[in-house]
Amino acid sequence: MDLGSLLNALILGVSIASIWLIAALGLTIIYGTAGVINMAHGELIMLGAYSSYMLQFYLGLPYLLCIPASFFIVAFVGLVLERGLIRYLYNRPLDTLLATYGVSLVLMQGVRLIFGSDPKYIAAPAAFSSNISLGFASISTFRVVILGVTALLVFGLWLLFYKTRFGVQVRAVMQNKEMAASFGINSGRIYMLTFALGAGLAGVAGSLFGVLAIVLPTMGASYVVQAFLMVVVGGGSLAGSVAASGATGELQSVLAFFTNDTFARFIIFVLIVVFLRFRPQGLFAQAGARR
Amino acid sequence: MGNIYHNKTAQWIVYAVFFAILAVIPIKIDDSFLLNQLATYGVYGMLALSISLCWGFGGILNLGQGIAFGLGAYGMAMTMQMQSQDASNPIPPFMLNNSLDHLPLLWQPFQNTTAGLILSVAVPTLFCAVFGGIMFRARVSGPFFAIMTLAMLSAFYTIIIDRQPYTGGVNGLTPPSAFQFAGVEVDPYSPTAYWVVFCFLMGATVVAKLITQSSFGLVTQAIRDDAERVRFLGYSVAGYETVIYTVAGLIAAIAGCCWVMLVQYVSPAQLDVSFSLSMVIWAAIGGRHSLLGSIFGAFIIQGAQSYLGDTFLATWLLILGGFFIIVVRFLPNGLASLLESGLGLLAAKRRSSSAAVERNGDANPMPAE
Amino acid sequence: MQFTRRNLLKTTAAASVAIAAPHLWLPSEAHAATLKKGEPIKVGLLFSLTGALAVPEEDSTLVLQYAFDEINKNGGVNGVPVEPVIVDAKSDFNVYSEKTKELILREKVIALFGCYTSASRKAILPTVMQRDHLLYYPTCYEGAECTQNTICTGPLANQHSQDLIPFMVEKFGKKVFFVGSNYVWPKESNKNAKVWLEKAGGELLGEEYIPLGSSEFGPVLGKIRDAKPDFIFSTVVGASDIAFHKQFKQEGFKVDSMPIASLTTGEIETRAMGADFGAGHFLSAPYFQTLDNPTNQKFVEGFLKSKYGKNGTTHYNMEETYLSAYVFKAGLEKAAAAVGVENVTPRSIRDNSGGIRIEDAVSPEGLIWIDENNFNTWLKPKIGQCQADGTFKIVKAADKQVAPDPYSIYPDAGTCTKDGLKGPDGKVRKNVI
Repeated sequence: MDLGSLLNALILGVSIASIWLIAALGLTIIYGTAGVINMAHGELIMLGAYSSYMLQFYLGLPYLLCIPASFFIVAFVGLVLERGLIRYLYNRPLDTLLATYGVSLVLMQGVRLIFGSDPKYIAAPAAFSSNISLGFASISTFRVVILGVTALLVFGLWLLFYKTRFGVQVRAVMQNKEMAASFGINSGRIYMLTFALGAGLAGVAGSLFGVLAIVLPTMGASYVVQAFLMVVVGGGSLAGSVAASGATGELQSVLAFFTNDTFARFIIFVLIVVFLRFRPQGLFAQAGARR
Repeated sequence: MGNIYHNKTAQWIVYAVFFAILAVIPIKIDDSFLLNQLATYGVYGMLALSISLCWGFGGILNLGQGIAFGLGAYGMAMTMQMQSQDASNPIPPFMLNNSLDHLPLLWQPFQNTTAGLILSVAVPTLFCAVFGGIMFRARVSGPFFAIMTLAMLSAFYTIIIDRQPYTGGVNGLTPPSAFQFAGVEVDPYSPTAYWVVFCFLMGATVVAKLITQSSFGLVTQAIRDDAERVRFLGYSVAGYETVIYTVAGLIAAIAGCCWVMLVQYVSPAQLDVSFSLSMVIWAAIGGRHSLLGSIFGAFIIQGAQSYLGDTFLATWLLILGGFFIIVVRFLPNGLASLLESGLGLLAAKRRSSSAAVERNGDANPMPAE
Repeated sequence: MQFTRRNLLKTTAAASVAIAAPHLWLPSEAHAATLKKGEPIKVGLLFSLTGALAVPEEDSTLVLQYAFDEINKNGGVNGVPVEPVIVDAKSDFNVYSEKTKELILREKVIALFGCYTSASRKAILPTVMQRDHLLYYPTCYEGAECTQNTICTGPLANQHSQDLIPFMVEKFGKKVFFVGSNYVWPKESNKNAKVWLEKAGGELLGEEYIPLGSSEFGPVLGKIRDAKPDFIFSTVVGASDIAFHKQFKQEGFKVDSMPIASLTTGEIETRAMGADFGAGHFLSAPYFQTLDNPTNQKFVEGFLKSKYGKNGTTHYNMEETYLSAYVFKAGLEKAAAAVGVENVTPRSIRDNSGGIRIEDAVSPEGLIWIDENNFNTWLKPKIGQCQADGTFKIVKAADKQVAPDPYSIYPDAGTCTKDGLKGPDGKVRKNVI
């Protein structure tokens, strides 16, 4: 084993972490704010991929425009979902988990009925199909793009939550819904908007994953458990999810380097269970969050 | 008398009628496919029952019931696999293909059928006791526990796939001949196999019912409704939770054994997240606060999947998902709560003058069933 | 009513045992599927029409329906039409098992055609063997199985890589890296490939397995970059395979200097990934859509024009499935001649299927025949290179049919004979799976 390959594995770990993080971002917002465990998150990712595919295939939209467009399409789906179903279930956290699982079945099968179950393909600009070499290590351009988008989104969310009026309201609702309401904050509206925002983020993740891998009605299922674990390990806060994804992504890459991919996953699952045993509230729990 | 739904005697009579009907089936029906299929539903019924016990009565949502089921099933499959090996040919063929030249230690106890059966049930039960004990003592509960079981399930799923020489990997184990016990071959399509499953289902249901009616069961239901208060009253919440979780695991492990007896194979698909989630769906649709309701839930959903699934080919999952959403949204306590409020209305009408009304309504935390 | 509970229990238990007693030890009904006079021949089509496996398996159902239509149009089997009973296994192994029982026990079909993955085959084989039934397994698989109830029309691991590995070594260089999905078939195929690699004087630099369905190839491609092989030998399947080819290109690997030699990436896969990701890579298979012979032209044209050709391609897996219908027809005719139409059982069809030849005039891939001992197929593996339009150009074809050998890498296990696996000790063991 030489140092160069290990370094490569570490750099790759950052890329894997960014993929896990972007899958988990939307879920973090939704879970952190409303305490909703959204099992349909994977399917929202899938919808993001399909909307990019659709825009590109039928309207000929360039890929880079498909990403924000997917954000708005999936955010709208999230909005409808929240208004039509989730808002009735806020005081029943386990029931949101179950109901959203039902939603995930419906979305998956609905997409399959419309688009068929054969894989679709999103074309990315040729510039993304190349490789950046740093001499000692190399990484594909598209992974750098994902990393960049993820960093941008995290920064944007941080601004939104900590520098805007809306953010103050969201954090107020997060900490104490009733108290926030008595100060005139419409918590129903806040929940609705954060849910739509979280869904939209899943849409962005989907349009990126569609290029990295494949667009299939079942593609979401593989992300949802992973994304969940990131959120729970992180404690439902933005910083927590960043740290949790960073740690697991690096671990996955380094362990896969020393053993194999499957075994690396096993170890990560076990480590997560052990970790949560000692810190059930996650890495950075929000102090005094009451729902 | 109030709502007859909450009347214990009436409940036991319904149980008796239910099992009497199940008992008559093999006498009336001479269709080996149907018998085998119904027996498989019986296994699913046991799984839904275990979820109901653990979630409906213990308040512990377990998304990883596939662990106990899968471990039980693997144990049983290993036992059956070893039954078809003999001294001249002691190693299962798939191991030879994975370049093992001797039987691994893990497999050796399964050469003996009795030991194998005991292990198949004991290992998952013990796992539940230890895992549950550790988690509940750390006061992990609610959605967190659900997520942890999910992580644990995924861990088992991956390791079984990865350790192919010992587990058969994705292909799983396929014992080539039927289960033999005390010299008798249990043909999976025979009434015998049906009876075995029937007895276990009945036994598990009766035990679960007795538990929920005992003082122990009342405490677990109190924990479900407010764990903090019960803790302040001096009960060991973790202890109660561990026991109910372990009993549910035991039932699932037995279900796993029965299942392999019926279908003669096991694969990591039994530890797949979607399978464990469908167990929760059965219980939720049937009514998690009702043991019998959950069993019915499993029968209805699986029956519909088998018989309506092909008719509604493409839209089946759409229908199932939609139905599930509607149940969770409007009938949080499942179809059984329809019966409950129906009977409640009846009772209220009969005695419309006085205080019978107070018992009615689904929002109240409810007593056993 | 204090006493009710316990007494009720006892009575119920006693009653059920009493009712049970007469039935307890009765064997279940004697089972034998036979052909009935004046009724069509029922066969079961057990594939997934929905779910993750639907992509390859729906095509199998379609092509079999096409084949049986064609057979029926030409007079059926001995004048009797074949009626396929189509079920949906929903990509769920439990459903495979349940549907198998339904087809065998309730529909009483005379034979089953089904499965794509090894795992689903393994899930249904105990039932098939228990009822002494017959499964046509129409795709490539790893071998190392010797049952008396299956006939396979796809290539075995030993047939697949026999030409591919020497061809690649000669053309691109000695150093190779193996990548596969983490399950039995890739691992067994790689063991076979190692044998041919050693004979060709090649060198194995590394061997990696990816979880089934995973789309993260970063770590593996990193290892490949370090190892610098001359070519990659891939047994990655399904959605992962498409992710692999896409990331291969995105990570800056060049197909000219390090092509992927695959056992799975056919017309369906290249269409799904976009032809520019597939172009230049190699595939070993007995059939390609571009095979230039009149039978194949007729097959491709006829199929794509028919109501079953909606997906727009033919594929090695579909052609192998198509052949299985004709193997069944010939086997049934031989069995009927040997034991009489009314005595035909699934097992007698199988026992009479050894040596059946599907001639050039019928078989799009050219003459094949069923081995008399292990009931797999003698066929000519071919190597194709993917072109810019997603079709394959055939660059090499075996000059004669290669023998199937399910135990080629386990000579110590014995040899597969008609009646079972004959071990080195001379004992014959039935139903080895």
